[in-house]
Amino acid sequence: MKKPLLTILKEGTAMNVPIRALGLATSIFWILLIAFIALSAYSFKDLNFDLGEPQFTTAPDGQLLFSLPLYIDNRGYCSLKEFHLMTVFSDAEGAEISRANTFVPVIPRGENVTIFHNVTLSMDSVLENAEQYLFNDNNLTASVTAGLTLAELLPAQISTNFTFPWGAPFYNFALGQPSFGRFNSTHSAVSVPMSFENHAAFDLVGDIRVELFDSGGSLLGESQTALNVPQYSSYDGNLEFHVPLNTASFSAARNGHFNVYFSTPLFEYGPLVIPYG
Amino acid sequence: MVEEEKKRKNIVKDVSFRVVKATLKAILIYLIYFLLAPMLAPLFGLIPGFMESIEAFVIIYIVLTILGDITERTIFQYFFSTARSLFVIAYLLLSMEDGIISTSYENFSLTVNLTLFYTVAITLSLLGFASSILQAINFMSERAEATSGLQPPQQA
Repeated sequence: MKKPLLTILKEGTAMNVPIRALGLATSIFWILLIAFIALSAYSFKDLNFDLGEPQFTTAPDGQLLFSLPLYIDNRGYCSLKEFHLMTVFSDAEGAEISRANTFVPVIPRGENVTIFHNVTLSMDSVLENAEQYLFNDNNLTASVTAGLTLAELLPAQISTNFTFPWGAPFYNFALGQPSFGRFNSTHSAVSVPMSFENHAAFDLVGDIRVELFDSGGSLLGESQTALNVPQYSSYDGNLEFHVPLNTASFSAARNGHFNVYFSTPLFEYGPLVIPYG
Repeated sequence: MVEEEKKRKNIVKDVSFRVVKATLKAILIYLIYFLLAPMLAPLFGLIPGFMESIEAFVIIYIVLTILGDITERTIFQYFFSTARSLFVIAYLLLSMEDGIISTSYENFSLTVNLTLFYTVAITLSLLGFASSILQAINFMSERAEATSGLQPPQQA
């Protein structure tokens, strides 16, 4: 039998099947995709974050350790991956003081995890930018960025900026007028009142050394005192100097200046020049 | 006369069937949206106007689906099907731009990287579009076959 030159395929046998298969496969993938997104969003709803009370401690290497507990309760359907938290502390001028990162590879579903985010603040780097942080309360800017991968595939990131109050360890530091008294036949005792408030979040332990100069710039005496001032408390004390007793130096010592040197495990600073008289 | 009456009845039956099918399909799509919306609300609620835009998307999608079903077995079915695919692509392109959604609330800024979802969705939309075009070509070729005198070879 002779076949026709132009054969036409029977309706619905050649084209329809792959087209229908393509349509069916597309529909199935759409359903899977929408279900996945819905599940991820629903998991996000059941995710709880809570911040604990921040703690300040002094690290053995003489740095200030800021520790922030973070509680994550993952009640969602999916594990959280690659959780990272970054904190950048900067001063009022925007100069970076400190940067810290915390990384948690996996937070399994149904688990409650506590993460400690530790930031080390070097007082030296704080003072490098501005010595006012020793004597004046200020605000540091903290930029916090937290990121994680939701449902294994969807990276999400949240960021915020907030001001962090900085309490000065030597707030309102002042040396009063020297008062002269007789110590012995060769020396007179000079008493200088000293006061300040420790507004810092850490106890202040260290020494203060003060040099007393007369109006001519000659060193008359030196005094050193040990400090142990708990956080958020004030200090009032007297510095004692023994100045050689002679008429010239006595008249010159009516005015002059103090050179103050601060020495603590966290920082060294000085001289701070304070005039008197 | 009886033949014509029968033909008319068949047309009415056919149209009714299409309308019922389209209605059921629309109800099913809306039901899926109705069930999924509360799940998506916590995430998408953070983005102002996003839920409203999804609602508008669902309405237009349902309308195009209904029209496509009512005009079944005509070339318009493929017009509406293609329009629906193009609408999905356009909606994704306009609403998601580069696939990264950013929103701010008070002092907080939230960024969700939906690039993967976006890529898959666009790929599926393009597949849907291709499928509609192929269906339209197939329909037209079948039409041409039917009007020509060429008959398919009989199976042995």
